[in-house]
Amino acid sequence: MSIKIENVSYIYGEGSPFEKRALNDVSLTIEDGEFVGMIGHTGSGKSTLIQQINGLLTPTLGQVYVDGEGIFNTEVKLKDIRQKVGLVFQYPEHQLFEMTIYKDVAFGPTNMGLDQEEVDRRVRWALEIVGIDEEIFEQAPFDLSGGQKRRVAIAGVLAMKPKVLVLDEPTAGLDPQGRDEILAEVTKLHEQLGITVILVSHSMEDIARYVHRVVVMDMGGIRFDGTAKEVFRHVEELEAMGLAVPQTAYLAKALREQGMVIEGDITTVEEARDALLPMLKRLGDVQHD
Amino acid sequence: MDMIKANNLIFEYKRHNERGEVESVHRALDNVDLLVEPGEFITILGHNGSGKSTLAKHINALLRPKEGTLFIKGMDANQEENIWPIRQSAGMVFQNPDNQIIATIVEEDVAFGPENLGVPTDEIRERVDQALETVEMTDYSLHSPYKLSGGQKQRIAIAGVLAMRPDCIVLDEPTAMLDPSGRKEVLETVRKLNKEGITIIMITHFMEEAVMADRIHVMVEGRVVMTGTPKEIFSQVDLMKQYGLDVPEVTELAYELKKSGVAISTDILTIEEMVTALCQLR
Repeated sequence: MSIKIENVSYIYGEGSPFEKRALNDVSLTIEDGEFVGMIGHTGSGKSTLIQQINGLLTPTLGQVYVDGEGIFNTEVKLKDIRQKVGLVFQYPEHQLFEMTIYKDVAFGPTNMGLDQEEVDRRVRWALEIVGIDEEIFEQAPFDLSGGQKRRVAIAGVLAMKPKVLVLDEPTAGLDPQGRDEILAEVTKLHEQLGITVILVSHSMEDIARYVHRVVVMDMGGIRFDGTAKEVFRHVEELEAMGLAVPQTAYLAKALREQGMVIEGDITTVEEARDALLPMLKRLGDVQHD
Repeated sequence: MDMIKANNLIFEYKRHNERGEVESVHRALDNVDLLVEPGEFITILGHNGSGKSTLAKHINALLRPKEGTLFIKGMDANQEENIWPIRQSAGMVFQNPDNQIIATIVEEDVAFGPENLGVPTDEIRERVDQALETVEMTDYSLHSPYKLSGGQKQRIAIAGVLAMRPDCIVLDEPTAMLDPSGRKEVLETVRKLNKEGITIIMITHFMEEAVMADRIHVMVEGRVVMTGTPKEIFSQVDLMKQYGLDVPEVTELAYELKKSGVAISTDILTIEEMVTALCQLR
């Protein structure tokens, strides 16, 4: 499902002394089935922007189209839009509230008016994707570890079978394994079901490893939009915006400053290895067996 | 005297049913030994649920040992009368900056701790000014904390702890919610405090941050399974991955290059070390 944001501006508290322009004439098109990463420092407008996509905030100016339809047209029901565009907030585990894991995940599809059989199918499907075992379906979600709670919360959104999944920092506070598992699950959803994914993250390494296209927000506007390789070339500009590049990109930059010829853009460990190995082989430092 | 000394520390969380009977017991700390010297910088790594935060809360006497002994600056954590002195000497900073700020003006927030300690007014002023200067937030002393960035809020939380004049600060994932520049600000502040002699115990999931420490403790299932310098710990890439942890990207790159036959050391932890090592190969 495609998303088109057209000349959107958003002003918080318009007319009050606290008036703040959070988005300034932003236009962005995301095609059906894309996997887009969004980066920007705190206050750059990322969260404000993603909240326009499912109609939680109404633009002060401009229009948002989901699947070609202007979502703020009077005949469009925002409830339908919110089923199509699933939003996973930061720390979604704080929103768990039901007595059991099963009931918590069932809440969304039940409210959609689906029959019990379909709700059951969806709950089982969603919990399987996030790797929650049937054995603990009847446990209270509050007894789970942080990573598991977060998975249950994500399953609650998945159970609505959204066509677009927006995740706001889904891995903050998770250990490396939990982080990798959640991002692998999201990748799987994207690949197998063709869901459009928008991933907001403060981890440049995760962005480099998982997404196809990176949108960089700064001061309520889009500053860069391209592949991770293209975007992470702008080291100085990104740092000036309070961002960074992956550690391997810094390494490539430092090596080039030492006069080494490193071909291509380096943003991950694998790319760094593949770029360095031929060079080291030529030097004869690699032992051949 | 040791800053922190724990022997065979055990702590259990109990789950009760409606009738108040114990339903299940989860051992969060399982015979933990820990020795921290004054002025050391320690990081604790471990997967979610490995007992890191439970251990941190013991150092601050928020939790009391079930079994075993724990001494903070020589004070026995099992003695009721030591709770307040322990909390004063071991301050704590949590993950979410928004949950730690209570006042509407920055300097009042920083003054909260010493006020509660009954410090005389003149001295509070002095402590607050000094603390804000240390975290480089003096210019914001009369601002509202709610409008600050995440990194700034976290520095205010650190200043609040500093105003209690602690010997030791425990930071439980202080950068988990911050953007890259906020993370950098907080880490620079932590490093500065350590240089000034404050003992630092930092819990983190960012391996690049753990590299800053003098020693790393790795926790698995409530036990400390590895202790060593960052080089000793991170050169064991396979073991770290087995524990569900990671190593810094450059360390992983060194490991990958070595696997491909390059004669490179695997205890590389920083970009600078990697550049030096590769330049020597050239």
